[in-house]
Amino acid sequence: MLRLFTDTDTDITPKMAEEYGYSLISMPYSIDGKSVYPYVDFEEFDAHSFYDLLRGGALPNTSAISEEAYRQYFEPVFEAGDDILYVHFSRAMTATFDAMDRALVSLKEKYPERKFHEVDTKGITIGSLNIVLEIGSMYKNGATAEEILDWAKDEVDRFAVYFFADDLRFFKHSGRVSGLAGTMGTLLGVRPIIHMNSEGKMVSVGKEKGRAKAVERLVSTVLEIGEDVKSHRVIVAHTDSPDIVSELADRLLEVLGADLDILTVDVNPTAGSHCGPNTVGVSFHAKHR
Amino acid sequence: MYDCRIDGELFVNMISLGAATLEEHRVEVNDLNVFPIPDGDTGDNMCMTMEAGIAHVTGKTTLSIGEAASLISDGMLLGARGNSGVILSRIFAGIAKGLKESDTADVCSLARAFRAGSDEAYLAVPVPVDGTILSVYRDATEYALSRVTEETTLSEYMNDLLTELRESLSRTPDLLDVLREAGVVDSGGAGFVYISEGMKRAVDGESAVPAASLRKEAGPDLSSFTEDSVLEFGYCTEFLLRLMRSKGDPAAFDIAVLIDRLEKAGGESIVAFRDGTIVKVHVHTPRPGEVLSIAQEYGEFLTLKIENMSLQHNNHIKETEKPINKPRKKYAIVSVAAGEGVKNLFSELGCDAVIDGGRLMNPSAEDFVRALRDVNADTVFVFPNNSNVFLTATQAAGLYDGCRAVIFPTKSVGEGYAAVSMMDLTGDDPEAIADEVNEVIKTVKTGTVSLASRDVERDGVRIVSGHYIGFSDGIVLTDDADRTASAVTLSEKMGAADSDIMLLIAGEGVTPDEAEAVRAIAASRFPHTEVIVIDGGQPIYDYYIVLE
Repeated sequence: MLRLFTDTDTDITPKMAEEYGYSLISMPYSIDGKSVYPYVDFEEFDAHSFYDLLRGGALPNTSAISEEAYRQYFEPVFEAGDDILYVHFSRAMTATFDAMDRALVSLKEKYPERKFHEVDTKGITIGSLNIVLEIGSMYKNGATAEEILDWAKDEVDRFAVYFFADDLRFFKHSGRVSGLAGTMGTLLGVRPIIHMNSEGKMVSVGKEKGRAKAVERLVSTVLEIGEDVKSHRVIVAHTDSPDIVSELADRLLEVLGADLDILTVDVNPTAGSHCGPNTVGVSFHAKHR
Repeated sequence: MYDCRIDGELFVNMISLGAATLEEHRVEVNDLNVFPIPDGDTGDNMCMTMEAGIAHVTGKTTLSIGEAASLISDGMLLGARGNSGVILSRIFAGIAKGLKESDTADVCSLARAFRAGSDEAYLAVPVPVDGTILSVYRDATEYALSRVTEETTLSEYMNDLLTELRESLSRTPDLLDVLREAGVVDSGGAGFVYISEGMKRAVDGESAVPAASLRKEAGPDLSSFTEDSVLEFGYCTEFLLRLMRSKGDPAAFDIAVLIDRLEKAGGESIVAFRDGTIVKVHVHTPRPGEVLSIAQEYGEFLTLKIENMSLQHNNHIKETEKPINKPRKKYAIVSVAAGEGVKNLFSELGCDAVIDGGRLMNPSAEDFVRALRDVNADTVFVFPNNSNVFLTATQAAGLYDGCRAVIFPTKSVGEGYAAVSMMDLTGDDPEAIADEVNEVIKTVKTGTVSLASRDVERDGVRIVSGHYIGFSDGIVLTDDADRTASAVTLSEKMGAADSDIMLLIAGEGVTPDEAEAVRAIAASRFPHTEVIVIDGGQPIYDYYIVLE
């Protein structure tokens, strides 16, 4: 049978993973040289404590997991005679999938009959999560790997994610956003609006002054490029900024209707290491990314 | 003795004594401030502009009046600081045009040249206002020119000029409400009265004070003459010598003999003249000791100055020929700021160069020229952040043709911050970028909190000296003995409750705890506003409050 995998960079929690039948690959971050594997080294993610550490000046790093780690995740599945579909975060943002590719080469030799499929969500956090949950539902309804891959071919590019950050320190540290003008440190009220493009990279598409204008920019972006928004899930996420995210959620309910299917999640600590506290974003179904 | 033809030397002497007299009254001119806070700087700006002009003729001798006026004008155009400095530099640019190619001038041509200075100055200002140095200078030069006849002496002309300068200056409060309300006359006009008083003293025979008593420029770079340097240019040696009866009959002293002896001793560029029993000598020599020994045979020194000209020369090279070490960019941003924190703010926002607005000191046109050159870009966006700096930046743009300079009329660091922080330099069209910036500037309000320096009633607010007063757009909104209360009230009256962002930039006298107290009050009183505190470290203004 087909077994689903995803990773913690997609903001999925173990509880949600279990509900949809996903096995979870833990993507680590490190603070002061100490590596932490989400949901391996802790059971529940305490977002407030983690992002407060960042507010206090901590600057975490993220790292790729090893070839051996992938082998340990996948081999038991192949050994049991099952196939794998891995819905993962963006390849364009990491080197970790090179290690996975190497692991798969050796596993392929050992289990030539087994199949490995992957869906690159070309996103991270809620940009991925929307796709992960859609695929999870299809899987629960009995969809085959081919049907899922077929769906993903068009639909991956139809889940847009837009967000804004408070402090560029973290993006500058991780070097993963292009198009940020100047050499700004603390943004002093200016918020770059960033999205994930169809190559799976984070690109700055403008900036707004002040929280209120930044929230409005996200709302107007949903209205502008959204398509069949209400027949899909809208996910909003935050890095320990409940006030801002509920302001965003309230505005979306206001303009799109109270029957909007809206889900609020915490950004996982590994992805959160790249954007820092007070980042808020929205993922929705759209004409394009 | 000078009343027939005015030569270059007398002209330089007039300007030098004009500058010296202004210097004596510098603080007084600064204090002619329409705002009851100690941020007046007209005296400083005019003094430094005059000095920049004089520096261009220092050490130069046997100049024609045309050459002298033109050199002084060049120096002043580059050295101009503040609006009053720019206007002053343009006055002298007009005078220089009027005297161009003249070896000497008679009273009538000098009067015409002075009158031409007025026209040139008016051209420098986008919206000329009467009741300022512009109209004071125009009234006086028109009046004095109208009274010139064939018989008018230079001294009489200067008397007429001064009479009407003072008259017109006393009328400035009638022409400008802000002056009348503040109970002051125009500071730039007053500055020019002092300059003219000095010029009159020169005309009446007083010699220019030695340069040493003028405000000291930064010293020469001593490292430019090392253990292995070659003495290429000798020493510029200047002195005033009193002829002593004990050493010979002063009446029998022959200046030509002295000049001849100095030449034989290797002296060059010799200028020497005698006024009674005082002899003034300027000579370039590799051996100043010999020059002094010869001179001392006739008398004793009153003043003495010897400078290694290699140092002077090297300094000059450093200023003008410093290589540019940055690659050429399409766009660059130049901004003016005072205070470490504010300067860092602009650097972090992406400015390529931040010109030091200095403590009570406006940057000179030359500072801008240097920045425009150093950032090395096709288009340079300039943020003066002070209404008294805009003209200087504009003048600099006219003096430097290595880039296209777009100067925004930002009147405060708040407007500058708002504009620079939202700049998007990814576009190809500098016009479009400029349009966006101008839109942003419109959306920002800036206020300042500072210590009142006098008791006065203004805009319906009773201002008490020693209280903290809050200004926005030139209007007093609050007066409070407590600095924190003043800052909070000012932000409230400026409309902080309806703003998205409130930037609180704390000045050098404010502790972090005190700024945090203002932030906390503001954050609770204006719940929808994002309040951000910056340790600006700026002088004079305890707080800048910026609302967007």
